[in-house]
Amino acid sequence: MTLDRFDRFHGLLLLLVAGGLVLLLAVAESGGGRSAAGVDKAMEQALDYQARVAFVQKLYGPVEDLRRDGQLQQALLKLDELERRYPGEAHGYILRGEILGEMGVLAEAVASYVAALRLNGDYVDARSPLSRQTEIRQLVDDGLRILGGQARSHPENLSLAAAVKNVHYLQSRLAGGCE
Amino acid sequence: MLLNSFRSPFSAIRLSLLLAAVTALFLLAGCDNEPQGPVLKIGYMNCNNEQETMQRFAPLTRYLSEQAGVRFEAVPVDTQDFEGRFKAGEFALTHTNSLLYIVLQHNADLRLVAADKRGHFGARSAGTLIARKDSGIKTLEDIRGKRLVFGPAMAPTGYLAQYDLMLNAGIDPETDLAYYAIPSGSFKHEKVLYGLYFGAFDVAAAPALDLELMAADGKINVDDFVVLAQSPVIPYCTFGSSADLDPAILAKVRKALLGLKPQDTVEIDGERVKVLQSAWVEGFEELLDSDYDIIRDMARRTNMPPYQTF
Repeated sequence: MTLDRFDRFHGLLLLLVAGGLVLLLAVAESGGGRSAAGVDKAMEQALDYQARVAFVQKLYGPVEDLRRDGQLQQALLKLDELERRYPGEAHGYILRGEILGEMGVLAEAVASYVAALRLNGDYVDARSPLSRQTEIRQLVDDGLRILGGQARSHPENLSLAAAVKNVHYLQSRLAGGCE
Repeated sequence: MLLNSFRSPFSAIRLSLLLAAVTALFLLAGCDNEPQGPVLKIGYMNCNNEQETMQRFAPLTRYLSEQAGVRFEAVPVDTQDFEGRFKAGEFALTHTNSLLYIVLQHNADLRLVAADKRGHFGARSAGTLIARKDSGIKTLEDIRGKRLVFGPAMAPTGYLAQYDLMLNAGIDPETDLAYYAIPSGSFKHEKVLYGLYFGAFDVAAAPALDLELMAADGKINVDDFVVLAQSPVIPYCTFGSSADLDPAILAKVRKALLGLKPQDTVEIDGERVKVLQSAWVEGFEELLDSDYDIIRDMARRTNMPPYQTF
């Protein structure tokens, strides 16, 4: 059997990869210490974030395009499509909350943000690349002013009370409260 | 002493009879939970047909009877008959679209109870004007001279909101369209969508909620049409009560509606069914009467009841 240049190149590449793996294993075995493990974990987290950001940007790109074109109703319908495929994905609820907020449907916007935060707390974390802390803070201000004002004028109204409770939930999450 | 009494055969029989009577009493009390008293009627606006209306609302009516301790009866009512029958005192409660609510409120002192929650906007919905994506119609201005299909004439988000949208944009549906039509018979909202899809019309007045539901059912594809314009969101279907309904009953009904959860069930014809799911509703919300002012303004601008002038 003869080896051409292409085969030899691949053989060399395989040897290099195998060597790299052996070296990595050796470093891990030698117990690079807690700091190495910490670095690995941080890197893993950073990679996770990068992958997640890329995923949601790709997945929800068509929704963002429709929003930019002012096609808010169609953006909501597109979100429904995606929600049927990815029912546990919090980002869809965040986008729905933003769109409903743009349409002036405040109580439903707040409810959508609440649903998102119950699924994923990253959105109130200022360090997260997907953070919506500023937007949520604005929503809480609007909610307290508008829904809170209505609830004070109509203390017997159970639906307004429930909407204000949702606003308070967002407020507590912003303040660092957990689930 | 007690043991001694059991030794007497007559005492044992007496005790057995007493136990049997108590058991029977408990069993009867468990079975007979039908409320007593006069029957109060709930008029439900007929959407597609009476059979469908009864299927949707019989479980909800049973639930309200159980919760309020009152015998309610569901009655399907055609839209055009509602006002006359309500004024005649036939209904203690009504379930209608939001335009009919303001008509009955204005003309017959109907009181607000709660509104249905369904879809993106909760207790509200919106009217849209849509065209097929391949039609070349891209903006509201492009609909001049085109064929348009509305939903039913008393539909807040199938007719009123879109008519108002066009007037606000300087388009008079009476003179600026080639023509417009309103489908006859049942399932008008779906006919509107299919009329557009199969090319009988260029533009359709579709409720945003119907777009949502039909897309969820796979009947339409979001990418096949373009939303040319959308109205503000306005209150959706609404429960109302007559002014002379006992306030204590009204309070129980409202509390029961607002407290309804997806898992709540009632027994209908020997079958246990989910109340909300049967009624095609996700829950109920307590709106303010002022929330309906937006519809009142639309009705005034479009010369619709209860403000219609000739």
